[in-house]
Amino acid sequence: MKARCALIVVSFFTVAPAFADSGRQVDIDWLQTIAFATHRTDYSGTFVYQHNGNMETARITHISDQNGEHEKLESLEGPRREFIRNNKEILWYLGDHKTVQVERQYSGKSFPALLPEQLSALNENYLIHTAEQARIAGFDTQAIVFQPKDTLRYAHKMWAHKDSGLLLKAVVLDERRQMVEQYTFIQLKIGGDIERMQEITGQPTTTLQQQSHFTTPSETITQTATNDWKIVAIPSGFKKIMEVRRPLPGKKTDAIHFVFSDGLAGISVFIETLGNHFNRKLGLSNRGAIHVYSREKGDYLVTVVGEVPPRTVMQVADSVRYRGQ
Amino acid sequence: MKQEISALMDGELFDDETEAILDKLKQNPDKYDEWRTYHLISDVLRQSDHAHANINIAIRERLQAEPTVIAPHSRVSHNVRWFALSAAASVMAFTLVAWLSVQIGPETAPQIAMLQSNSNAVRSASLPTNGLDDYLIAHQEFSPSSDVYGMTSYVHTVARHQEDK
Repeated sequence: MKARCALIVVSFFTVAPAFADSGRQVDIDWLQTIAFATHRTDYSGTFVYQHNGNMETARITHISDQNGEHEKLESLEGPRREFIRNNKEILWYLGDHKTVQVERQYSGKSFPALLPEQLSALNENYLIHTAEQARIAGFDTQAIVFQPKDTLRYAHKMWAHKDSGLLLKAVVLDERRQMVEQYTFIQLKIGGDIERMQEITGQPTTTLQQQSHFTTPSETITQTATNDWKIVAIPSGFKKIMEVRRPLPGKKTDAIHFVFSDGLAGISVFIETLGNHFNRKLGLSNRGAIHVYSREKGDYLVTVVGEVPPRTVMQVADSVRYRGQ
Repeated sequence: MKQEISALMDGELFDDETEAILDKLKQNPDKYDEWRTYHLISDVLRQSDHAHANINIAIRERLQAEPTVIAPHSRVSHNVRWFALSAAASVMAFTLVAWLSVQIGPETAPQIAMLQSNSNAVRSASLPTNGLDDYLIAHQEFSPSSDVYGMTSYVHTVARHQEDK
């Protein structure tokens, strides 16, 4: 509750001037509330994730304390796959091979505030309105709908806990109103004593370290001054929020990484030399609502990733140009 | 006629006579050849550097005698042009499809979506799982969806996938 009060104060000063005349202040506030709760609430629960006709369960634990954010996400079915995040460091346990991959995050984002530009982009590309109230995992929630103004992006519907603002259910819909993916908490504990696991708040155990091989990417990430590459047909409503040259795990050479945002969905464009990929197959692929499209462009590999429909990533991939060619 | 041509060459005719004989030369190829022959004789007699032999015919006959030497080159260039044209047509067709898919109304859109999901089914398994995960994690770090969904958005990587089985 204290968090919610603080949020209202924060969001008043950040959002109110920008959207004083939009008339949808309440709906925009909900997204701020959700983002705040996602990163500042202690919670632990089990959710069901549905995609491509599959259904599976996963468990998430999130703790926010004076040392920052700690969280763990693990699949409860099939081979062991889990993430453990300590602020900017992600430990990634893969399958049954007991391999651990360490990812260092570069963004340095200061959650939970959504940037005003992001909220204005959101307003330009989606019609946002509150919908029904529902009970999910035993909590009262308010549904918020993000209806896209065109077919370049998906519709999102989110159910937020009325008291904490925590996201308890989310569904992504395509233009035919068919479900692309959905996740719903079936059991959740908010606040109070959340079990603190060793891996979450401390270093991973030594046995795990011995069994694993670390691949630590170089920490250099540089803003590129190069204008060699251009994406000439960025889907309307998307704006470039980042352009860096960065290392990718398991790759010898750096990749150029562009990020575009429409306020809610993101599109990443990775451009790297083909030498990185001997057996890489090209084409369209997907993980739930995230579509990936890879193609060769001369001696380079272009990979586009985004929470958008297939043809949006394809449009982006096909419009990558080198030096105005 | 020969005298007339000779007179014409010597510039001894009046304008109307000149026109009349030029018309005749145009209409009568034999006389035209005669006219050219006279000029050739004249040039050779004067040892002109620019003797106008009728080499067109000679070249044409030689070309016809050696068709196989010339033909492959012309066929290649023809192929290149054909390829370029078909490539251009493909690009145009693709551009049209891309443009249509951008412009398309909500009623026709579902068919396109269905086609794409079919191609999905065929090609989904083609990317190696781990390679794809690298891109997903790199993407999710900066995607605005992570602001809202937090680590839940990493479920895309944690969840089991058909290509894993």
